[in-house]
Amino acid sequence: MTRESEPNAPAVAAVDVRRTYELGGEPVHALDGVSLTLPAGSFTAVMGPSGSGKSTLMNVLGCLDTPDAGTVELGGQRIAELSGRERARLRGREIGFVFQTFNLMPRLSAAENVTLPMLFAPTVEGRRERARTLLARVGLEDRVDHAPSELSGGQRQRVAIARALANDPTLILADEPTGNLDTATGDRIMSLFEELHAEGATILMVTHEPNTAAYADRIVHVLDGRIETIEDLGSGDPAGASSDDSVASAGGDA
Amino acid sequence: MNLPESLRISWRSIASHKLRSTLTTLGVIIGVASVITFMVLGGAFTASIVGDLESFDEPGMLVWTQTTPADGFGVIEVDAAIYTEHDVERLEALDGVSSVSPTASIPVTQTAHGGDRVTGTVGVTATTDGYFLPEEIVDGEAFTAGANEAMINAHAAQLFDGGVGVGDELTLSLPDGSSETVTVVGVVEEADGFGSSPMLYVPTDPFYTTTIETPRETTEHAYSSLVVVAEGPESVDGVQTAILEYFESDEADASQLKQGDHEIAVQTVDDAIEQVTEIVDQLTILIAGIAAIALVVGSIGIANIMIVSVTERTREIGIMKAVGATNRDILQLFLVESVILGFIGSVFGVLLGLGVGFLGVSLLEWPMVYPLDWIAIAIAVGVGVGVLSGLYPAWQAAKTDPIEALRHE
Repeated sequence: MTRESEPNAPAVAAVDVRRTYELGGEPVHALDGVSLTLPAGSFTAVMGPSGSGKSTLMNVLGCLDTPDAGTVELGGQRIAELSGRERARLRGREIGFVFQTFNLMPRLSAAENVTLPMLFAPTVEGRRERARTLLARVGLEDRVDHAPSELSGGQRQRVAIARALANDPTLILADEPTGNLDTATGDRIMSLFEELHAEGATILMVTHEPNTAAYADRIVHVLDGRIETIEDLGSGDPAGASSDDSVASAGGDA
Repeated sequence: MNLPESLRISWRSIASHKLRSTLTTLGVIIGVASVITFMVLGGAFTASIVGDLESFDEPGMLVWTQTTPADGFGVIEVDAAIYTEHDVERLEALDGVSSVSPTASIPVTQTAHGGDRVTGTVGVTATTDGYFLPEEIVDGEAFTAGANEAMINAHAAQLFDGGVGVGDELTLSLPDGSSETVTVVGVVEEADGFGSSPMLYVPTDPFYTTTIETPRETTEHAYSSLVVVAEGPESVDGVQTAILEYFESDEADASQLKQGDHEIAVQTVDDAIEQVTEIVDQLTILIAGIAAIALVVGSIGIANIMIVSVTERTREIGIMKAVGATNRDILQLFLVESVILGFIGSVFGVLLGLGVGFLGVSLLEWPMVYPLDWIAIAIAVGVGVGVLSGLYPAWQAAKTDPIEALRHE
């Protein structure tokens, strides 16, 4: 969006990140030494089968979870060194989440949902105006005061994207953003991500679908808590990439 | 997150569950309403009695003997004939005293009007005509000393078939077996506001014959209490002090005749008002305290619904945390919600309590009072109940793990 970013300066840098859970008394290595750098303005897709550690990676990069070992730097700050309160504030300012199930507040209108991140980041001025601008940006200028229940799936995801942009974040984290949408709607949502990418936003997207992943500059394949391969798609031409069978077959459990 | 935003969002979630929120606040409403109702009734009762007492604006006071009972609570009146004629004369001579009326109870066993007999119920008091103020005599006139005349209060008059009025005759049976016939010459309404027991008043002469040996070795009449009327309201305090000083001196017969654990008290109308107010206040607080139990139930209701609400909105908590809400933001949101419930409950409780109190007061024909201090306390308690009952659920909400919460269905 409006953020000025130097080409290839890292927006987020994770080094040797480990995260282990106890599950039924057994340790599960959700992340087992992951190092990943997201240059500013990059569009990265993460693919992998269920339980491969995609979600944990997203949670760690999104400041929802803290690594047991290794470092994550976001907006120049090491998240392990922050208090819970500071982490929450950093998350609100620097991260924009887009979820598979949209996760809008059911009782708030579209505009109020977009305003929500600004409420928790007290410095933002002119919230109402900004919410309108962002809703117009995602093509929902005529749905500002609608409740989520009055919107279609694609429209809800657009509201969610507008909400993710509210605090002009360093990184947009999208978790299966088209997973609950039909193909045509999903394509339109991906076009929107593509536009944001073109405007300079840094995006990390978890997906099962090779077609969706093909919108990215590169695809990170994770398996058993490790990065298996990083597939570079160059400038990310969705038309060319989706016709490439090798990418589709690398799509894990898609 | 600033407070207006919290208020707005919390209000939204209260408003979206109207029935639930209403039922939740009902506990607080009922609790606060009962407290306020009792406070209105208590205050109105006090005001009505005080009003009665003040309306007479009597510069009078009562000299009586009191003792502290063995169980040590309060004081009781002692019916001991210790105030001699000498004491009466000395009090009459004090500066500012207009009149002194001795009183003593006559042990009448039966009162009869025609063939209609009433046993025991009617208290018969011997006194002098100065005992009643002119405005207390609602019909007829005061008795004359030395005559077989009586004055009766409305309550006693109704005890007899067809009622007793001025000109009727009553027969009083005395313990020694003799009987006296008196003519009712006046109907009175006592100024003490407690004219609820049937009373008959007769002149000390000729009905009161009890005499005692005084410390000065004379034989005189002695009475169990005295009504002293000052010349005006401004001399009441001075007269009260002078009377107390007199009874503290050795010159007073009563101070030597009274038993060691008895005490001579001088009670003005103001003292009586104070005493009534104190008793009613204590009773009111006791009853309101019982009513406050409903408030406890109300706060449990709020806590219960808030816990349900936190569980229900786990996912929303996750969303808010994902977009930057701190634990404190979440705590604030839920706490504000329960405080709003408590506040609304107490406001409606106050309104309901005033309404019910007003109805009761209107029926009883007491003056309406607005217990402002209790209204303030009730609203403060309502907010406090909101804080207390919301604290645990809000804390639960605040410490929700956002990752778990976002997965929550």
